[in-house]
Amino acid sequence: MTTPNRSVNNGLFSGARLKNLFGISPIVVVLASILLVLIAPAVIFLFQSSLHETQFDGSFGAFTFQYYVDLLTSDQFLTNLINATIYAVGSAAVAISIGVLLAWIVERTNTPGGGWVLIISIISLGIPSVLYTISFLMLLGKVGPANEILMWITGAEDPLLNVYSLWGMIIIEGIEFAPLSYLLLSSVFRSNDASFEEASMMSGAGILQTFRNITLRLAQPAILALLILIFIRAFESFETPALVGLPGNVSVITTDIYESIDEVPANYGQAGAFSVVLLFIVGALLIWYNRLSRNAERFQTITGKGFRPRVMDLGKWRWLTGAILALLFMIIIGFPIGIVLWVSMVPYYDGVSLEALKLFTLDNYRTVFNSRSFHDSIGNTVIMGAAAASVVAPFTALCAWLTVRRYKGAWILDQLATSPLIFPAIVMGVAFLQVFLNLPFGLYGTLLSIILASMVRYLPYGMRYSYAGILQIHTELEEASSMSGARQTTTFLRIVMPLVAPAMVTCWLFVFLVSVKAVSIPILLAGPKSQVVAITLFDMWENGITNELAAMGVTWTGFMTIISLIFYMLAKRYGLSVR
Amino acid sequence: MLKVQDLFKQYTSEDGTPGGGVLGASFDVADGELFTLLGPSGCGKTTTLRSIAGLEQPQGGLISLMDTVLYDAERRVNIPMYERDIGMVFQSYAIWPHMNVYENAAYPLKVAKGKRLSASERREKVRSVLALVGLEDYIERPSTQLSGGQQQRLALARALTREPGLLLLDEPLSNLDAQLREQMRSELKRLQRETGVTAIYVTHDQSEALAISDRIAVMSDGLIMQIGNPKDIYERPTSEFVANFIGTTNLLRGVLNADIKAGNEAPVDTPLGKLLCTFTADVLATPTVGVVIRPENIIIAKIGDDKAAALPDTNRCDGTLLTETYLGEIVEYEVGVSDEIVLIRTKPTESLTPQDAVTLHFPTSQTLALIEKSN
Repeated sequence: MTTPNRSVNNGLFSGARLKNLFGISPIVVVLASILLVLIAPAVIFLFQSSLHETQFDGSFGAFTFQYYVDLLTSDQFLTNLINATIYAVGSAAVAISIGVLLAWIVERTNTPGGGWVLIISIISLGIPSVLYTISFLMLLGKVGPANEILMWITGAEDPLLNVYSLWGMIIIEGIEFAPLSYLLLSSVFRSNDASFEEASMMSGAGILQTFRNITLRLAQPAILALLILIFIRAFESFETPALVGLPGNVSVITTDIYESIDEVPANYGQAGAFSVVLLFIVGALLIWYNRLSRNAERFQTITGKGFRPRVMDLGKWRWLTGAILALLFMIIIGFPIGIVLWVSMVPYYDGVSLEALKLFTLDNYRTVFNSRSFHDSIGNTVIMGAAAASVVAPFTALCAWLTVRRYKGAWILDQLATSPLIFPAIVMGVAFLQVFLNLPFGLYGTLLSIILASMVRYLPYGMRYSYAGILQIHTELEEASSMSGARQTTTFLRIVMPLVAPAMVTCWLFVFLVSVKAVSIPILLAGPKSQVVAITLFDMWENGITNELAAMGVTWTGFMTIISLIFYMLAKRYGLSVR
Repeated sequence: MLKVQDLFKQYTSEDGTPGGGVLGASFDVADGELFTLLGPSGCGKTTTLRSIAGLEQPQGGLISLMDTVLYDAERRVNIPMYERDIGMVFQSYAIWPHMNVYENAAYPLKVAKGKRLSASERREKVRSVLALVGLEDYIERPSTQLSGGQQQRLALARALTREPGLLLLDEPLSNLDAQLREQMRSELKRLQRETGVTAIYVTHDQSEALAISDRIAVMSDGLIMQIGNPKDIYERPTSEFVANFIGTTNLLRGVLNADIKAGNEAPVDTPLGKLLCTFTADVLATPTVGVVIRPENIIIAKIGDDKAAALPDTNRCDGTLLTETYLGEIVEYEVGVSDEIVLIRTKPTESLTPQDAVTLHFPTSQTLALIEKSN
């Protein structure tokens, strides 16, 4: 029997014997205060910096609207806004086209080799975004195999493709988001009842007609929601615009932010104004996305009683879809990993050729392994990821538990912990940069500053895993402990913690993986002594140290892929989603 | 033993309107008694149970167990659930999946204040309780490998290991399939008798309540309608609600012209004519008194038979047999009398066929005149 608003009657946490604030448990107040202290200064300093003249030492000067006026009256800003929009729409279109194709082949047909697609997801979670983007620059660049093949086919003298362009950004970002797109769409396709498709086939429609008229149409709301999600992610992305766009003179808002801070002297006010504008755009888009994805979920639950997740028999056509599958696999994982491996083993990169095979060497690996800065950078990265994950996992577990069990006022914890979601990573970087520049603790440039910013940035991700984990624990399991005479703390330690442990481990691994992958936050916050792998790779590329970069990238990706694999195995075993 | 007085707890639903709960319930449970809270879903029985457990905080009233006041709104006493001497069996059993059978059952002896035992005593105690519920061969088994019935037994064992002053059972049989449910029902009763533990049992299943209870409290809309032993509840309901909720009954709308006290007999005008009824509760003169009689208490005979001639003249009416439904041990007849249809159950000894003219007799002692709901 369920009753609305069943509140918990508890001893310790509700402070039955303590004076408490409007009946809100002290623990909720403490956690909410911690969250506020972490998040509020970043927001305040971000807005402040955009409204005050930038001084040379980074402190605030006189109040001004000048940065916003400059921004709104400049043609460049409009151009970049249009660039960003085209780039984001294009990336989403590419990612979804690949995702739909992959998800349909794997989930709805009897094409052989579908199981291998999981490898795409595993590696793509392990590989740093910088390295992935760079691998495509190697593939599609002037000396890359793509141009060579095209020149060989057409007989042209000069490279035909210029990857350092808007379309280059779109292709690379689109492929980078394809695994996410596949993952989300596969769960949509999997939950479709096969009898919808069978009914279409029995009405005389062919496989392609059925795919177009039934499968795609049923998935349409989910695809639309996904389109907006990837649009947002691409719109706020930094790695690809910085590595691909900037050399080709294509700017978007995120690179404008970076350049305002990178120039000497840094123009924090301008960066702040850009950030605030980006924050509002992304915020508005996210609200729209939430509304759409709710609709999409409603649409998804149309499956009825006779639910059978059966697949379609393609007959001999399944060899064609198998070939498409293999090709997509190569594009998403095979070629990028292959080229980085190749580059890591040659003394200098001058395209892929048989002659170069003779030059194969492990020197790059030797150089990298013997370099102090490589060790430091790996050490820093592991500490950074582990620290962020070790705080986020238990903290969000406690917040999620209080929220799910409806402790009074705990909804605030949920709201606060998920609020960083609207901050694009680069904006989060700018905001925390302002905090650390203006606070007298000397945190600027330290590893701790990166850890703090990453923690806040990945709180929402941690919350999602913890929430899902706690939801799986039936309330009566905890009530049974109370009725056995256990106090609330005993119940939390002996019943809740062991039951939520798998979800927390999964959460830990996920936060670790995404925080060590990212560039946007450390690129603004890292000092000489707090370099992390993603930044080291970024700098090496900028400085043309390509071969050692590849060696370092291969080593790091191998390490991360193992962690990613463990994450996938745990998540699957405990029935948690792996988005 | 257990005393519950004016217990009040009202929920508000999301939109702010009152959304069920318990609106003032009072009852006492005697030592060693199996007391059942029975009612349809949303009647407040689970809220009452959870308030006794301490899982809900009531808004008013008093709950005391033996000499201990567990909750008293006036004196602002609210003993936390983990300090109450109460064991509970949950609807979902709530067997912890990360502990084996032994660990589940031993948990209360490790955590409950004043119930902690040495390791060897604990082992001894848990063994004996597991033996009592028939799980002695499963001690080391992971709890995830238990069947539904075994989980049920383990949940019971866990609630009993600390020898609580009171045992609460929240619809414990509702997740079992029909056959197992009957078997567990009698076993529950046996265990309760053997251990002598005072128990409160919550169910919405009236046949379960009749079979297992020493006494039953029937609840509706947050109020207790009637408390009594199963025989009283079935044969002497004091309200239409209870008569309808328990078993099958014929209900007629009647007119009562005088105030009648409980225990008396008086005539009531019904669509079947004037019927002399028994009153189980005080009823004021009303145009809408309910007259109820169980189908098995009506005597039916074919007009012209010897049996018909032998029936008394009072509380008689004539009608036409409409349908006959043969159910094996009994047969059901529907008889049309003026505009009413009367349901009758008898042993299949009558030789009646549809369209027969029949006469019915309503024995006064079993023809009850009732108000709609009592309190």
